[in-house]
Amino acid sequence: MKYGTLKNYIGGEWVASTSSELLDVHNPATDEVIARVPLSTPDEVNRAVAAAKEAFQEWRETPAVVRARYMFRLKALMEEHFEDLARTVTTEHGKILDEARGEVRRAIENVEVAAGIPSLMMGYNAEDVAAGIDEECVLQPVGVFCCIAPFNFPAMVPFWFMPYAIACGNTYIVKPSEVCPISQNRIFELLDEAEFPPGVINLVNGAKGVVDALLAHPDVAGVSFVGSTPVGKYIYATAAANGKRAQCQAGAKNALVVMPDAALDSTVAAILTSAFGTAGQRCLAGALVLAVGDIYEPLKARLVEAAARIKVGDGLDESVQMGPVVSRRALERVLGYIEKGLQEGAALLLDGRQVQVAGNPNGYFIGPTIFDRVRPEMTIAQDEIFGPVLGIIPVADFDEALAIIEAIPYGNAASLFTSSGKWAREFKYRVRCGNIGINIGIAAPIATFPFAGMKQSFFGDLHGQGRDAIQFFTDRKVVITRWF
Amino acid sequence: MELGTFGAILRFAMQLEEQSAAFYAAASGTVSLFDELEQAARKRLARLEQARREGVAEMILESITGLDSETYTTTLDPQASAASLRAQARALEEAAARFYRDAAARLPIREVARLFQRLAQEHETAAQQLGEETG
Repeated sequence: MKYGTLKNYIGGEWVASTSSELLDVHNPATDEVIARVPLSTPDEVNRAVAAAKEAFQEWRETPAVVRARYMFRLKALMEEHFEDLARTVTTEHGKILDEARGEVRRAIENVEVAAGIPSLMMGYNAEDVAAGIDEECVLQPVGVFCCIAPFNFPAMVPFWFMPYAIACGNTYIVKPSEVCPISQNRIFELLDEAEFPPGVINLVNGAKGVVDALLAHPDVAGVSFVGSTPVGKYIYATAAANGKRAQCQAGAKNALVVMPDAALDSTVAAILTSAFGTAGQRCLAGALVLAVGDIYEPLKARLVEAAARIKVGDGLDESVQMGPVVSRRALERVLGYIEKGLQEGAALLLDGRQVQVAGNPNGYFIGPTIFDRVRPEMTIAQDEIFGPVLGIIPVADFDEALAIIEAIPYGNAASLFTSSGKWAREFKYRVRCGNIGINIGIAAPIATFPFAGMKQSFFGDLHGQGRDAIQFFTDRKVVITRWF
Repeated sequence: MELGTFGAILRFAMQLEEQSAAFYAAASGTVSLFDELEQAARKRLARLEQARREGVAEMILESITGLDSETYTTTLDPQASAASLRAQARALEEAAARFYRDAAARLPIREVARLFQRLAQEHETAAQQLGEETG
């Protein structure tokens, strides 16, 4: 086992979990067991919260410029270990190295932005709000925060939150995905090397038991979550019931609208990356192509032709363009949706079920799959499949496309491909989704912008990354002053 | 091998520079320029490593078409005569320059495309210098 049994990181120490419950972590390209992750106990959560609480006062009193220097140190360590981190992501998740590198890059980018905390955390003031009276607003850290992370971006997603939380002077607990926990464990080795004061950052491995213990703990001030909609709702409701602030990024069913005036070559390339990149396991993945008018036939033909050429295999092989899905369970789930699509009458133009990867007979591979004649009411048009399955829906015009998007309960992302500024403007103005792409298949906000989301894709008000994160991880205190 | 991803292109570029550095090191002392060219190849390796780390952009990881590594490979024999070594080196530099120009035209990331243009220019200059020496 390459990575052994993972440990928790509590109060600046690596600690073996006392839990007798362990899960195997698999390399999805080979099915090999590469690590074991403990399902930590509520007692271990309590210890992590206690360590974070104890560290809070001294950390919040640490000047912001000094906290920023820890960020610079962390960035330097992540740059130094960049390739190793990317390879770890690929090994535990399956995505190809380019995608893993992109993920680690975005994680570092968030550290870079959080390093601006001396400016980001500045308050504001006004003189003479009444005669001789001044007023100021200061931003203060809140306490202990935690993150419940998903499997699909095991290195990056905690970095939408953690760097901002600790840069603001809070202390933090990460609960990585139990399916892909290794990247965060590796990153915590770097955090340890950066010598953050004990208790400022903590890692507790586990599953629902850890989540529930964190949500119930009175000393946890807030929670950041990324995952499915049912779990997001549960976490948001439980956090609110326990008086915590919460930001819960949830499921998605993203549509890509292609207008007749779209630049076909570039559009096809962008759609393929969107639908099949990370084997369709991005929350920003394009799942439905809404082909407007005459573009439908040529677009369909080009998509199928190009998707059939995508090389599927082990993401560590750099000639590969699409890796496996994350687990056998995920594979079976995706296969089930393909079956469902057939039963409901969609036309299977490209069948990824028969894909063979030489030398990797046990990997969780499924090739690019394209359904045509999908109707909005079909299960494959409504459910988040989270696999490399793309549905094509021909539509008569722009308004019909927008009506279909509006009827989708999720509002994570939507893209438009067009050469018309008018349509682009209409689209970004009218569509109720958080992340909009204009001639972009993956509308992934950089670290200075919030990772948005609307409708059933987000529960909360302040998002991860950028200024939203600073707001989420601080309290505003208003001071009104008069001197006699 | 088809170079269909950003990573595959960067890896091939790095292999080219590694191969160049190894060739010039093995033939060191035979042609006056070789030590300088070896150092230049090693410096380029570091620049490429940095580009691979910093040049990836999540929203534009689109597939790349029309590049095949076979088009840019050259046969090298560091045990050959000085005249042959110069000719081999020139062919190597010309192939590398061609690769960087072709790849730059296809890379969707402007900073990396710019770096590739600069590297192409460096290889072209080296090929020219080797040609002048031969002449």
